[in-house]
Order: sequence, then C-alpha cells, then structure tokens
Amino acid sequence: MTNRFFRAPLFGALLALVMVGTIAPAHAAGEDGEFDAIGHTMDGNYLDFSPFGKVELPRIFLVRKADGSIGLDVYGSTKQALLTGDYVMASSYADEAHAEDGYGDAEESAYGEAGYGDAPADEATATQEAISKGKHLYGGLTRAKGDVIVDFSITRHLLFAWLAILILCLLFIPMAGKYKQGIGRTEAPRGKKMNMLETLVLYIRDEVARPNLGEKTDKFLPYLLTIFFFILTCNLLGLIPFGATATANITTTAVLAIFTFIVTQFAGTKDYWMHVFNPPGIPWFVKPIMIPIEFLGLFIKPFALAIRLFANMTAGHLVILNLIGLIFAIRAILGDGAGWGTAVPSYFLTVFIYGLEVLVAFIQAYVFTILSALFIGMAAAEHEHHGHEPHAHEQTVGTEAVI
Amino acid sequence: MTLFLAAGLLSPNVGLIFWMALAFLTLLFLLSKYAWGPITSALAEREQTIEDSLTSAQKALAEAKQLSADNEKARREGEAQAQQIMREAREAAEALRAEQVEKTRAQIRTMQDQAQAEIEREKQQALAELRTEVADLAIQAAEKILHENLDAPRQKKLVEAFISDLPKN
Amino acid sequence: MDPVSLAWLSAGIGAGLVAIGTGMGIGRLAASALEGSARQPEAGGDLRTTMIIAAALIEGVAFFGLVVCILLTLKTVA
Repeated sequence: MTNRFFRAPLFGALLALVMVGTIAPAHAAGEDGEFDAIGHTMDGNYLDFSPFGKVELPRIFLVRKADGSIGLDVYGSTKQALLTGDYVMASSYADEAHAEDGYGDAEESAYGEAGYGDAPADEATATQEAISKGKHLYGGLTRAKGDVIVDFSITRHLLFAWLAILILCLLFIPMAGKYKQGIGRTEAPRGKKMNMLETLVLYIRDEVARPNLGEKTDKFLPYLLTIFFFILTCNLLGLIPFGATATANITTTAVLAIFTFIVTQFAGTKDYWMHVFNPPGIPWFVKPIMIPIEFLGLFIKPFALAIRLFANMTAGHLVILNLIGLIFAIRAILGDGAGWGTAVPSYFLTVFIYGLEVLVAFIQAYVFTILSALFIGMAAAEHEHHGHEPHAHEQTVGTEAVI
Repeated sequence: MTLFLAAGLLSPNVGLIFWMALAFLTLLFLLSKYAWGPITSALAEREQTIEDSLTSAQKALAEAKQLSADNEKARREGEAQAQQIMREAREAAEALRAEQVEKTRAQIRTMQDQAQAEIEREKQQALAELRTEVADLAIQAAEKILHENLDAPRQKKLVEAFISDLPKN
Repeated sequence: MDPVSLAWLSAGIGAGLVAIGTGMGIGRLAASALEGSARQPEAGGDLRTTMIIAAALIEGVAFFGLVVCILLTLKTVA
C-alpha cells in the first residue's frame, strides 16, 4: 500500500523534472533570443543551472611561459583566469561583432603568438564586457604571454563522469559488501536495488560476455561490466535536468574505445595476429590487399565504437533541444500565437523523444559492451582452423564487410 | 559562434583524454577490486548451490523412484507368493479331500468286501451245517428205513458219495 | 553559386542519402529478423541479439557518413 502512495507523487515529481529539464534550456535561450542547442550538448567549463545561473568550474592549464619554463596555472574559474590578466579570450563576441572572419584569426592566435597583448586596454574592456554578459564561458582561452600546452581544466562532462563513478561505487561496493556478508550467496538477493542491479549484471554475463568470450568470460567480465555500467550511468545522467551527458563527448567515447582497443590487443592470441598479418586460406595475390584492410580494421573498429556512442548520445539531445528551439523559432517568425501553438506538439514530441532517449541510453550501453565483447572474443578465440568455431569466423567477416 | 562550438563538438580535448582515462581506470580498479569480485563469485556460488540442490533433488527423486519401484516389486512378489501359497494350500486341501474320499471309498469297499466275505462264509458255513444236518437226518431216516440191511458206516459212505454227487450249491 | 552554399547543399543531400541508406538497411534487417523469428520463434532471442549488433554496425557506417557531412559544413567556413 505504501508503495502506491509513494508512486503518484514520485511520478508527478518525475514529470515536473522532465518539464523543468526540457524548459530550462529553452528559457536560457530565450534570454538573449539566440537558441544554442549545440552549446548545451557539448562540453563546457561550467555547470548550467539555467535559469538559476551557472557555476564555473576550475581551470587548470599546463603552460609554457614567456620565458620558456613549463608550469601549471590553476584558477578557481574562467572568470578568475581572465581577471588575473594572464589569459585572454581566444574568440570573443566582441571580435565576432567587429569582424565576421574573426574566428579564423582567433584560431590562429590561439596556437601562435599571443596577438592581443598589444592592446591591453581594449582587451580588458572587452573581457569585462564579456564577463558581465556571461559570454566569457564560450570560446577558448589563450595565455597572454606564452602558450597553453594542454588544457587540463575540469569540464562539465568530466564532472558528470566523476559523478557517474561516484554513483557506481556507492551502488556496487555496498552491494558487494552485502554479498560478502552472505546475503544472496545461497538464497535470492534481497531488496529492490540488489535485485535490479543483479539482473543487469547477470544479463551482461550471460547474454553479452558468455556467448562471445566463452571460457575467458571471467577474465574480461570486470572490464565489460565496468564499461557497461559507466556508459549507462553517464547516458542516464544526461537525461536528468541540469545534467550533462559525458558520453555525448567524442573525447570520452574515444577514451572508452581506446580502452577496448587496448584490451582487445592484449587479449589477442597468435591466431588473431595471424589472421591480421597472414590471413589463412586466402590466395597469395589477394594478401597485399587483405593485410592492409585487416590492419586498418583493427583501428576502425574502436573508431566506429567511439563515433557511434558519441553520435547517438549527441543526436538525441540535439533533437530534443531543437524540438524546443522550434517553439522559439516559430515565435520569432510568426508571432506569439504561433509560438504557443507550436509549444503543445513540441512538448509532447519532446517527451516522446525523451522516452526514446532512455531506451537509447540502455541500447547504446549494451551495443558498446556487446561489440567490445565481440572484438575481444574474436581476438581471444583460440579456434582450430576452419570448422571448430564457424560462428566467430562468420562474424569476423561480417564485421569487416560492414565496416 | 555556433560553428565554433560545432567544431568543438568533433575535436577531441587532450586534457580531457587524460582526465577521462584516469577516471575510467580508477573506476575499473575500484569496481574490479571491491565490487565485481565478490559479486560474480557470489553469483557463481549461488548458481553452484542451485545446481547442486537440483542435482541432489534429482538424485533424491531417482532414489525415491527406485525405492517405490522396489516396494512395488516387493509387494508384487508378496502378492504372488501369497497367491502361490493359497493355491498350494487349495491344491493340498483338494488332494487331501480327494485322498480322504478315496480312502473312505476304499474303506467302504473293504467293508463291503468283508461283509460279503462274511456273508459268503456264513452262507458256506450254513450250507455246510445244513449239509451235515441233512446228511444226519438222511442217515437217521435211512437208518430207520434200512436199520436192518446195512450197518452204519457202510451206509454213511454211501450217503456221502451221494451228497458229493449232488451239484454244489 | 559560391563554394560555401555548394558545400552546405552537399552536406544536406549527403545527410539525406545517409538517412535513406541506413533506413533501408535497418529496415531490411528488421524485416528479415522478424520473418526469421516468426518462422522459428525459439530462435527469437539469438536473432534479436544478432539484429542489434548488425543494426549497430549499419548505424556506425551511417555515422561515418554524417560525420563527413558535418565536416563538410565546417570546412567551408574555416
């Protein structure tokens, strides 16, 4: 009974959160009349709590100073970095306003000599103006004297990846403790959380790892479980209002794909390498064509993994944001009435896509994991030549052909 | 502005690569060390337990089946034995009865025979007595008649010859 | 027509072609998988897994196409 009483308000709260989540960015966009869907999807050096404001994140730069020495610059926020005067904006709105081709120049200056040091007064005013308008968070920073070698700033996506890690540790380490105490060792798991997580763990083990890895399941299962739950949590965090999707960042997905690549190569058996560099059962004159293709395939596989996850997560968010942006676009063109008229279908479409996104969050985590398992399994399989495991071989061919 | 951001969308960030790799490695380490080990081992253990109990249940079931089959067999055997015994008893009884009947019959027959023999003997005796009596009477009569002609022993011999000439019975 | 407009046009057409190709590919895949699982319902689970993997691979190719389209729109400005 208690559950029933709890459910209704919970559902209401969820609905309200969905509404806030979908409307908040729209509201933010409404402030200056420009709707910036990509800006909300991509990484940034701030947490976006619009309409309540933004929280700037620390900036950390590995720099080569003007005198040639290498050092680390740490600031509490982008604003601080700008106010110290050590840093200038690489691409500011002021520049864009002054000249349409400012972007190219700004990029040049970002990698070349600092080009803004000559006019400190103008620059300072422009910076002040940008900060007051809240524009300093967009675009890059360059060191006024010297170069930035690597930008180690804590970004929004990194923060959400950390949050995902925290959540996963808080979920699984106590759960492991329960198992250690003996709960669920011989009898059924206890509690909703334990049951739910166990179902997922078992699914990954029995449906993803076992069919692809066979006997070597135990060796690679921790990796597959970690990558599945990490991606899943990141994906779902992106669906929470004010959240950000760490997996909608090509860097994150690239890192994950690189890990799969590394694991795959280390799992590779002699058979696997022979398949790449001396494919058996192929006439000699085809080999010069096949070997480069197989070799490239090694890198294309993780590349496709990274692009797939990134594009799926980004595309969903862009669709949601653009559906909302449609309201403002139509209002700007056809007036308030049309805007309100668009709001209703737009809202329901958004909710629909949002539901689809939940599905995609799971599917993409699953796809990334199962493809990782497939690649690792293909590399780790010790099949006798022809016949023993035609399944794995077929899939190899299939993957190569498709990619 | 938007274009600049779009370019940022597709270009990897070196600093972030470092942080992400660090973060992911930390997660991998933490979870592998503190979570996946106990969880997967517990799951494997539970499966083992379930499998074991299934096997033992199957074994127990097989045993029970065997036992009930044994019981059934014993029951059948007992039943067959009982029937055998009953049949044997019936046969024995039947045989005994037949024997008794036969015996009785034989006895009756013997008794009949004995009786007949007795009767015969009695009859013979009676006949013999009768013959003697008749002979004596005849002698006496003849004595009386022939008192003068013949002496007694000669007459007796004559009569006896006469009698033996008579047909038997 | 200036090169920028051409590039944007080609990016749009490319995105459309990518969508058509992917749609056809995944559509045929789903059709075959459905047919297969209708004929052999007991193989449904395996078919679904294989279908998702194949769909993901097709999607991967589609994303390559999309990335090229996006790059096309970006290169014209820089």
